[in-house]
Amino acid sequence: MVSTLSLIYPTLAIAIGAVGTYLLLPLRHGEARPGKVHLIGAVLAALGFLGLMLGYLSLPGPLLTGLFFFTFSILAILGGILTVTSRSAIDSALWFASVVLATTGLFLIAGAPFLAAGTIIVYAGAIIVTFLFVIMLAQMEGKAAYDRTARSPGTSTFTCFLLFWCLVYSLLALRSEFTNLGVKTLLPPGQLNVFYPSRPGFPVTMVMDAANRSTSQLTDAEGKPKPHVAGLGETLYTDHLITVELVGALLFIALIGAVAIINPKMPIRPGDSRPTSVVNS
Amino acid sequence: MSESANMLMNYLLVGGALFAIGMLGFLARRNMIVMFLSAEMMLQGTALTLVGFGQYHGNWTGQVFTIVILTVAACEASIALALIVVLYNRRSSLDISLWNEIREPSLETLDASSIAEADQAEPVEATPGPESYPHLTPAGIEPSHPGQPWIERRS
Repeated sequence: MVSTLSLIYPTLAIAIGAVGTYLLLPLRHGEARPGKVHLIGAVLAALGFLGLMLGYLSLPGPLLTGLFFFTFSILAILGGILTVTSRSAIDSALWFASVVLATTGLFLIAGAPFLAAGTIIVYAGAIIVTFLFVIMLAQMEGKAAYDRTARSPGTSTFTCFLLFWCLVYSLLALRSEFTNLGVKTLLPPGQLNVFYPSRPGFPVTMVMDAANRSTSQLTDAEGKPKPHVAGLGETLYTDHLITVELVGALLFIALIGAVAIINPKMPIRPGDSRPTSVVNS
Repeated sequence: MSESANMLMNYLLVGGALFAIGMLGFLARRNMIVMFLSAEMMLQGTALTLVGFGQYHGNWTGQVFTIVILTVAACEASIALALIVVLYNRRSSLDISLWNEIREPSLETLDASSIAEADQAEPVEATPGPESYPHLTPAGIEPSHPGQPWIERRS
């Protein structure tokens, strides 16, 4: 179990972050918050999250990697808070672009450069640009009432930060029991194959079979890391072939669905005497 | 704790934080576009945890599933934006609370007074009205005016 004393610091940090984010959110009925309250809210939120990060994120690996990791994670979280609390939709979209760039950097540090490039191309390049087009067609420059009000800021802030606190608690509970191999511990890396079959009565399932396959590992038989895109392609098209086909089918269906939603013309059926009128959306 | 476990903890923390903030944005905001951006942020958080676990266990499956998440996010973005455009065309507003009546008949709806109260909210920076317009000294003959002088507030 996690000792109460070691829980105080993350709880305090999360509570400060919650209060700060609540102060940054628009009010329920749209009265303008004074600028000072905004500033206090911003400082509190930043302190809360930074405190949590600095307290629990340890520098992974060499100094430069750790610095980049801190930069990207702080940018991601601050960009996230600013996305959620911005008054106009364009500010939210641009801060979301910074969140995507930060997670791309984190993917790079985790050894996933293909994913980093793919995320930039698909998310920041296609999805956010499409958002900006829709904002261009449908926005009211931040002066609309729905940009200045929040639906239930207190309840939702409490709920979401409670969820985050529960996640942090479960992570802390894992940390303290690392040395005993039990149910509540983090499995040491590279022992996936060793640990599961050795437990008494554990049935070897298809999942473990798939995880043990040579195409599924990041390193090849001698222990050297595989070339990145080649290894990813190999596992995609051998272990996850059906997944790839299903994802392609999903894209196709989404394309048809988007066209059908936008253009709701009544189809002309063979039995009609004259063409039916076009339904205006 | 070992270094790779530290790295995993870091990724899980950041992913969890992004997920919680995204959920907050989805529940608290009324603009449809900002709601959808927050949902996309939740997907980014889960992608971070997947990649972290994939690196920790030395497996490609985390990255493969992140590719699937990316694809699903693209499909979701196309359909959601199509829906947003259609809904905007019907009511000329990006407000999600205008569509409150699409719910089960047993649930209570927001009464009109709270929506009306929100719509009469003040802007963040109050724009000065006609009382602050500059007064120039008249020069020459006054031209014929087309109709009512413009004394309403701008925007």
